[in-house]
Amino acid sequence: MKRWRLFLVLFLATLLIPLGAAAQKDTLVVALVSHAPTIDPHFHFERVGILVNINMFDSLLHKNKRLEYEPSLATSWKALNDTTWEFKLRKGVKFHNGEVMTAEDVKFSFDRVLDPAKKSPQYGNIRAIKEVRIVDPETIHLITDRPFPLLLERMVFFPIVPKKHVEKVGDQVFGISQPVGTGPWKFVEWKRDQHIKLEAFDGHWRGRPAFKHLIIRAVPEVSTQVAELKTGGVDLIRNVSSDLVPDLKAHPQTYVSTAPILRTHYIEFDMRHPPFDKKLVRQAANYAVDKQTIIQKLMAGLGRQVATTVHPAAFGHDPSVTPYPYDPKKARELLAQAGYPNGVDVTIHSAFVEFRPVFEAICQMLTEVGIRATPKPWDPGPAYNKFLQGEGKATHGYYGSWGYYSVFDADAILHPLYHTEPGGWIGKWYTRIEGLDGMIDEARSTVDQAKRKRIYAQIQRYIKEEAPNIFLFHQFDTLGVSKKVEYEARGDEWLWLFDAKPKR
Amino acid sequence: MTTLLLRRAIRVLVVCVGVSLITFGILQLSGDPVALMMPEAPEADRAKLREAMGFNDPVALQFVRFVGNSIRGEFGKSFYYRAPALDLVLERMPTTLTLTVLALGLAVLVSIPAGIYSAVYRYSLLDQIVTVVVFLGQSMPVFWTGIMLMLLFAVQWRLLPVSGWEGWQFMILPAVTLGTFQAPLLLRIVRSSMLEVLGLDYVRTARSKGVSEWIVICRHALVNAALPVVTVTGLQFGILLGGAVITETVFAVPGVGRLIVRAILQLDFPVVQAGVFLLAMIVVTVNFVVDVLYAYLNPQIRVR
Amino acid sequence: MDAQTLAQPAPATVEVGRAAARSRVYRKLVRHPMTIVGGLILLVVFGSAVLAPLVAPHDPAKQSLIRRFTPPYWAKGGDVRFALGTDQVGRDILSRILHGARISLLVGVCAVTVSLVVGVTLGLFSGFLGGWVDTVVMTVVDVTLSFPQLLLALAFVAVLGPGLGNIILVLGLTGWERYARVVRAEVLALREKDFVEAARAVGAGPLRMLSRHLLPNTFSSIIVLSTLQVAQAILQEAALSFLGLGTGSAYPTWGQMIALGRDFVTVAWWLPTFPGLAILLTVLAINLVGDRLRDALDPRAT
Repeated sequence: MKRWRLFLVLFLATLLIPLGAAAQKDTLVVALVSHAPTIDPHFHFERVGILVNINMFDSLLHKNKRLEYEPSLATSWKALNDTTWEFKLRKGVKFHNGEVMTAEDVKFSFDRVLDPAKKSPQYGNIRAIKEVRIVDPETIHLITDRPFPLLLERMVFFPIVPKKHVEKVGDQVFGISQPVGTGPWKFVEWKRDQHIKLEAFDGHWRGRPAFKHLIIRAVPEVSTQVAELKTGGVDLIRNVSSDLVPDLKAHPQTYVSTAPILRTHYIEFDMRHPPFDKKLVRQAANYAVDKQTIIQKLMAGLGRQVATTVHPAAFGHDPSVTPYPYDPKKARELLAQAGYPNGVDVTIHSAFVEFRPVFEAICQMLTEVGIRATPKPWDPGPAYNKFLQGEGKATHGYYGSWGYYSVFDADAILHPLYHTEPGGWIGKWYTRIEGLDGMIDEARSTVDQAKRKRIYAQIQRYIKEEAPNIFLFHQFDTLGVSKKVEYEARGDEWLWLFDAKPKR
Repeated sequence: MTTLLLRRAIRVLVVCVGVSLITFGILQLSGDPVALMMPEAPEADRAKLREAMGFNDPVALQFVRFVGNSIRGEFGKSFYYRAPALDLVLERMPTTLTLTVLALGLAVLVSIPAGIYSAVYRYSLLDQIVTVVVFLGQSMPVFWTGIMLMLLFAVQWRLLPVSGWEGWQFMILPAVTLGTFQAPLLLRIVRSSMLEVLGLDYVRTARSKGVSEWIVICRHALVNAALPVVTVTGLQFGILLGGAVITETVFAVPGVGRLIVRAILQLDFPVVQAGVFLLAMIVVTVNFVVDVLYAYLNPQIRVR
Repeated sequence: MDAQTLAQPAPATVEVGRAAARSRVYRKLVRHPMTIVGGLILLVVFGSAVLAPLVAPHDPAKQSLIRRFTPPYWAKGGDVRFALGTDQVGRDILSRILHGARISLLVGVCAVTVSLVVGVTLGLFSGFLGGWVDTVVMTVVDVTLSFPQLLLALAFVAVLGPGLGNIILVLGLTGWERYARVVRAEVLALREKDFVEAARAVGAGPLRMLSRHLLPNTFSSIIVLSTLQVAQAILQEAALSFLGLGTGSAYPTWGQMIALGRDFVTVAWWLPTFPGLAILLTVLAINLVGDRLRDALDPRAT
């Protein structure tokens, strides 16, 4: 009987041990919905992967909390002419395996992405770079085939990998079991779909991060992530739905940190077919939607109205262009003028699961002024892609958003949304605004920032008038954080965990 | 016995080809898989990929090639992971099998004694309770059971970890969730076959001879009740694996189900095919074993 | 003439037997209070499915941003007009559940009908014709049973696209093999029985034998199986919704309501709970009735 009791006690004790694991002070546990297919920073282009990579690898440049450029592996940089950039490299930076970083490693990193045979998904990002020239061991020149104003933005996430090591172990092994970088944490273990374990790198040039262990778990379910955060199983979760914000704020062990981000929402119109082929109808739709109410009531205030699709934080934004006000009366008038005094029936599509309430509210508001919108919600996946390529090309509109791929420049949304060349894949089907292609190209072909600014201001006025979209709002990043950890959300959605500190 | 084994083995082979056909069919049904894989690429690139992947060959040829490759375990490289699809599946297989076997074990451990009890003490209070629990267990969506168990045991009472797969404590909630999915059916079958057996002549005879009630139950009845349990387990194994998919998602278990679900949503066909094929092979194997077991158990019934 | 007198008594016996069985079934069904409860629940569910537009207090699609997350009326902050509370866009949950009954039952019943037609046809052919037809059909059954059904359904919905029709089709086509097995077994058993032999002896054609003798005799097994399969289909639809490939319809289904409401379970428990209860009660009721039906129809059970 006694032995039984002892057994029971032991049993309960072993049961409780792992519960305390995450509570250890020097360990930071982050939950992401999934892991990227590889840890090699050059062979994926996924947010969940980037968030892991930036804590293991450095790029030439870095952005601070205020999103200003900061030196990282490059200590200084300048444009020598329209197509040549010079970067001075930091001296004595060590990789996790002890090797010193050199200009050779930088060139190697670019070359492996630029090699078409390797099919890096990031190839398009830096395609404009024609040549990487080593001037001396501390200086490199990036030579582009045309003026490439986005170069610096691209250098913020362009991790440098060690040439010798990668060549020795091969790309495959490097990405799965032996990744090596110069970043604050070094690789320990990756169990796919389970966790990535990292350990602080003593030789990191910035010094040691506050947390010795960094664990990135893959937890697909939102409700599971929230449960983990509340019970201390994880310390940080992303993309907290605004409806859960009050809950996590009120919970004794968690808080919420938010920051405005680039992700901008809009309803895209099919401008080739009635009724949205008429400018007046498109404008009416813009007047019909009460963006402020949506932000306040459905998004817990975590959003800002935008005048066009160009984000206020993006280069080229013109604050003198103001948003369409909410004016249902005017909307009805415009609709009548356009030849629809009795209203019109449309179908709007969306595959945006977490914003379904917003989507349905928008359709309701359109319906109230006479644009009777039937919401057609989709679950993201192959069927939706198929639809977009097929009938999607000839539908009335859909609710979408664009995250700029974290590039703070007007071009990062104007080109993909409105340009008709293959790279601009939405513009190809939906929007055809006379002359917009030329304007976008013109702004792209110079590094004269003042000139670019002028062109973008012109474009914004133009698209506001033409209204190829209902311009809605931009989103906030919302992190749920354990009270044991001090960390602030960033405007670029990065989890730069070097800034995370344990709370005393 | 040998002929039976041989006949079953041939059947397994035929079923394997059938499984390949359906797995292969998934890809064919999608119309143009290349267009789905690279929606943004220019047509020239698509055509190149189509040619490279052999999508331009006659369907029959493609199928023969697919069967040949499947047998050799070659499902191609995952589009997403850029790694051999089979490796990705095999890497996660132990997790899924552990979860499934644990759940099944749990279900058997609970349902056999409970089923016997409620058959022997029919219409007793406990029997009624068991009946209600059985019906409830059968009527809940698996993910609902999972979320509720998690909220109670991990969040409210803090007895078990919420999610993950780091040690045996982490296996309890997923195994119970999946077990709850399987146990009711087994319980019902044990109960009804026990009832049937208990009413039979030889049991009555044994009783009238004064053989102790429990010996009657264990010696005679249980052996017979085991038979349908084994059969149903085999038949239901595929459904159980389906339940594992959901359980893995709820509890962030790194198993095959989660891999396949994501592969399906991403149209990562090599992984979908490798995963579905391998799971089906496991079901086929389980059923083969069940058949053999059945043949082994069957004579005992006749002997009585 | 001679042949006719031989053939005549057999069906008559069956008729008498069936009538007796029917009253026995009826008595057995009524004796169990749980069956009555189950039956009543089903009646309510069917009733609300049919009468949803009349009995639902609100338009199930009508949103109100002011009334989001209203708790059920008995909870603090509840509103009697929204008895079971409102969801994330302020729609009345009770109305949505009532309307959701339509789709959930529709999916359940239609999917089972598909299974039934396919399964029974193949099972009859397989059992009746035997030989290579039997081998082929049973191999197909084995193949279908070898797949994790949910994954197979998911894969097909993914490539075919979501939508009510596809869900019904996919669930129907992954659930037919049980019918085929049951019907085939019944047919094989019946084939040996005297009256079928007799019917064959008098030269009744295969069609006539199917319709007059075999189908009516497999009827009870099919009924029992169907009730349980409807329950399964409703659960499967919920599972598909959970994995992100539901009906994709703006019209609510219970599975979709739980799937979309589950993230809010900690802040608004009523969102996933009531549709969850609706599924639970309906499936429970179907199982209860189906189970008693099985007991009652099975002559061996006492």
